[in-house]
Amino acid sequence: MSLYKKYSEKEKGKRTFRNTMIALFLLILGLTTLFPICYMIISSFSQPIEAGAASYSIIPKNPTLSSYKFFFDFSKYSFRWILNSFIVGASVTVSNVIFASMAGYAFAKLHFPGAKVLFFLIIFAMMVPYQVTQVPLYILVSNVLNLQNTYTALIVPSVVTCYNVFMAKQFIGSIPSALIEAAKIEGCSQFRLYVNIILPLSKTVLAVIAITTFMGNWNNFFWPFLVTTSESMQTIQVGLKNFSFANTTYFAPMMAGATVSALPMFILFFSLQKYFLEGVTIGAVKG
Amino acid sequence: MSKTKMKKSKRFNNDAIWGYIFVIPILISFVVFTLYPVIDAFIVSFQKYKPLTVEWVGFSNYIATFKSTLFYKSLQNTVVYTIITVPLSMFLSFAVSLMILPFTKKQQSFFKAIYYLPAIASGVALSFVWKWIYDPLPTGLLNSILRIFGISNINWLGNSETSMLSLIIMALFSGFGGTVIIYIAALIGIDGTYYEAADIDGASFFQKVRYIVWPMVKPTTVFLAITGVINSFQVFQNAYLMTGGGPDNSTTMVGLLIFNKAFKYFEYGEACAQALILAVIIAIFAVIQFKITGEGVEY
Amino acid sequence: MKLKRNIALLLSIALMLGILAGCGGKGNGTGNTESSKNTNDTEKMEAATEDVVTALLPPVSATYQDKLEEWAKQFNDENPGITLKITPASWEDVTDKLDVQVNAGSPPDIAFIGSDGVSKYLDTELLVDISQYAEEAQLDDFDSTILNYFKNGDGQYGLPAYAEVQCIGGNRQMLEDAGIDWKKIQKEGWSYEEFREAIKKGVIKTGDTIDTYGFVFACAGVAAKDYFSIFVNNVGMASAFDKELKYTYSSPAMLDFLTDIRALIDDGSMPKELSSVDAGKRWNMFLTGQTMITGKGLSSFEKSAAANNEKIETNDGSAVEGSIEVDYIVLPVPTFSGNEQQAYGAVDGYVCFRGKEKPTDEHMQNVMKALYFLASAERAAETCSELYLKPICKSGLAAYEKLEKPENKNENNTLAVETLIRQIAEPRPDIPADLGAKAIKIEDEVIVPKFQGLLSGEITPEEMYEAIKKAGIEYFGEDGCILE
Repeated sequence: MSLYKKYSEKEKGKRTFRNTMIALFLLILGLTTLFPICYMIISSFSQPIEAGAASYSIIPKNPTLSSYKFFFDFSKYSFRWILNSFIVGASVTVSNVIFASMAGYAFAKLHFPGAKVLFFLIIFAMMVPYQVTQVPLYILVSNVLNLQNTYTALIVPSVVTCYNVFMAKQFIGSIPSALIEAAKIEGCSQFRLYVNIILPLSKTVLAVIAITTFMGNWNNFFWPFLVTTSESMQTIQVGLKNFSFANTTYFAPMMAGATVSALPMFILFFSLQKYFLEGVTIGAVKG
Repeated sequence: MSKTKMKKSKRFNNDAIWGYIFVIPILISFVVFTLYPVIDAFIVSFQKYKPLTVEWVGFSNYIATFKSTLFYKSLQNTVVYTIITVPLSMFLSFAVSLMILPFTKKQQSFFKAIYYLPAIASGVALSFVWKWIYDPLPTGLLNSILRIFGISNINWLGNSETSMLSLIIMALFSGFGGTVIIYIAALIGIDGTYYEAADIDGASFFQKVRYIVWPMVKPTTVFLAITGVINSFQVFQNAYLMTGGGPDNSTTMVGLLIFNKAFKYFEYGEACAQALILAVIIAIFAVIQFKITGEGVEY
Repeated sequence: MKLKRNIALLLSIALMLGILAGCGGKGNGTGNTESSKNTNDTEKMEAATEDVVTALLPPVSATYQDKLEEWAKQFNDENPGITLKITPASWEDVTDKLDVQVNAGSPPDIAFIGSDGVSKYLDTELLVDISQYAEEAQLDDFDSTILNYFKNGDGQYGLPAYAEVQCIGGNRQMLEDAGIDWKKIQKEGWSYEEFREAIKKGVIKTGDTIDTYGFVFACAGVAAKDYFSIFVNNVGMASAFDKELKYTYSSPAMLDFLTDIRALIDDGSMPKELSSVDAGKRWNMFLTGQTMITGKGLSSFEKSAAANNEKIETNDGSAVEGSIEVDYIVLPVPTFSGNEQQAYGAVDGYVCFRGKEKPTDEHMQNVMKALYFLASAERAAETCSELYLKPICKSGLAAYEKLEKPENKNENNTLAVETLIRQIAEPRPDIPADLGAKAIKIEDEVIVPKFQGLLSGEITPEEMYEAIKKAGIEYFGEDGCILE
């Protein structure tokens, strides 16, 4: 990256020093941020006992997998919860990547009457607190459409979100219009433009949308909680909450469940790394 | 001459049609799942809502909200929280993203993972951990550290002076991972040729940041600022789990108030009124932000 | 040409959406969609169709949710033609979900709530007065005082599942070391002054550091409400309203009470950081010997303490770190200024809702059957036994006798709880719903926040009292409050 001074071979020492200092700072900051997670993972390896009895210590006395076992034994649906979250998350992610990028492209590059008004409406919709939109939405899905306890109810409301459209628009907006004009002059149809030019150049933002959407959906609690009526359809976050009883909570199994539920996210994150890091070379224009 | 004119209008129409087509999915989803509930909430805000009967009360819900001192207190809390958290968080993530750049791809992944991880974990589970960190007695983590420096116990969450600060710290440390990811994505998209040109002119690191990087990530900054403000104004979960509104309402946020009104007291009509007032306030902030930063800059 | 392409694109998008929706429906959801359709249809019921009764239940006790499936099956077998469908929910969130469903006009037929929720739901007009559908024998089965917790006006709105007395509990060894005669206190109670002295004796220091406090009560966040409510009962203010429906919390006795509470912290017997101690912390402190008495105290704590003691004995490292062997002793809340013991009863139970469309009488009778089934006999016995309580209905008591009793249960505790149940605060079905709702509001918006401030030392008792008085006058007028 030419942002930083490029040190020549002679000054390699200087570069290493600078990099090390930065790395040190980042590491310390990282560790502080990471601490709660570490503690969460570590506690998951202790005994399944009530929160009140939990020892507040950094190293568990007896590392054990019994809390994980407790978690999976607790309900015969424990695996099912993870599966449900995965199905819903994957569907929502794919649909969002496709539709949000389409809309983002439309708002950023295509001029059509009413675009500005529509876009502002969409952003405004994000500002209304969900507490009051939940009830009419619930009435719509449950009473009117009779879709409670189905995958449809879990997926369709989030098929494409305002947040993602906004993000897509901002990123796609920075693709030079010259590229697009050039393609159009060569007789490229809009659809081909979208697929062959915009999409590849937006790989980075698509990856970001994919991760944030999947994660947001995975961690979503209240809506799945509302629309599911049987344990077999609950998602992982809803299932996790079942560990709190009146006046007590099973601490370690809850941490075990939280760790288990964070794992797929982590895996997804690393597998999408490629797209994150691939630099988008606008040098394509010159060629 | 006329040929070019025809071509131009044809292209315009074509663009417009495709514009509409691409926008259809979000439009449908938006109308059904977003617009309809909002309109419904708007209607309900003029009623004294009961599941079985409907009683129109005009503006009295709104008037009651404007008269309530608790509403103003929670508004003040929420604004303070937002004004501190959002800029700080963005500044921190911007700085961190810049710092991650000089490393190799593998090293970058490593750092990104570290920062993003807290965002992945469940908020409920994490709140337990943070409660331990903020434990007021000498056994609490933060207090143990402070004791090494000879500072006495602080009742982090139970003291109205520190309760808001505690929530802010918690938000900062768990929240900025997502922003780092987005900023890095934006930074990577900056063409290296700009830097080379600046190098020829002998620009320093900070000059490069100020004159090249910052303007080029402006769309991202605008996005993060606006969504940051929107989310921050609606914050609810942390306050609910950690302090329940804090000693003497020092951490009561508007989101919490709306939640209580809607579900604890079953004054759903008034809750809708408050929610809409909040939405308008957020919109005003957003418009101000758009104006300040200048929207839609094209390159 | 271009038009063709447009149409093609449109079609493909529509197809995609359709696939998504279809896929969704085909998942296990189909079976459930049908039965939910049935629930809506039953309102226009044919005699031939199965009547579905829906219930939303949280995990009331540790194995409750496992048993739910068994019980549902048992009920369905015994009652052909009725299907009981139970939706489990987590404890903290069950009210949230129920509230959304109530607001949406489609609540479950049966839900599990605390008795103080009755006035809240009454206002929605969706709560059903079961006295028209219940048989005499069913209502007689229950202890009448406890049954009244679910009464309002003339209507009976639910059946109680258990009555838990919420008080405080102590460490037997420490109590005896401090020279406190806990057996006498269990039988006769203690006054505030006696209590204050006793907990002072319980404080153990090394130099300036306090190793053991005399008394700790979980007050973090919304738990502050518990400390206030449980103790204020014994100041002669067992309810927010007196028999003439005047607001009691505005009386000067409140000021004395608040000053007394504050004094306990100032004495050094309670931690200064009380306002941040949560339920987990207070139990941890009790087990590790950092406090002599802990609150709030429930009967089931005896079980938890015994379980931990066992772990200490087996020495397998699974016991709470730093914990000592503790015998949990049930202790009554002290009484103030000569008032009588009015133990704080947490009576939770099953209530019945109707939806927007008026349900048929037959459906309501089926719901009633399910309601009674859940609240009585073996179900009551098993639930109560896990909570270390005795059932409050005769059929439950009968079934309870047949159950295995917990080993080594402290008989003194059992007797103490029975005494306290006899002294339980009277329920007040005469308080109209709207007054009750206003009192709840004052509690949430003024009393609890200010109380938290009082505990952390930021507000004086006088300031809190003035705020309560002001709110009381604002809501009920000067005539509606007791002011002297």
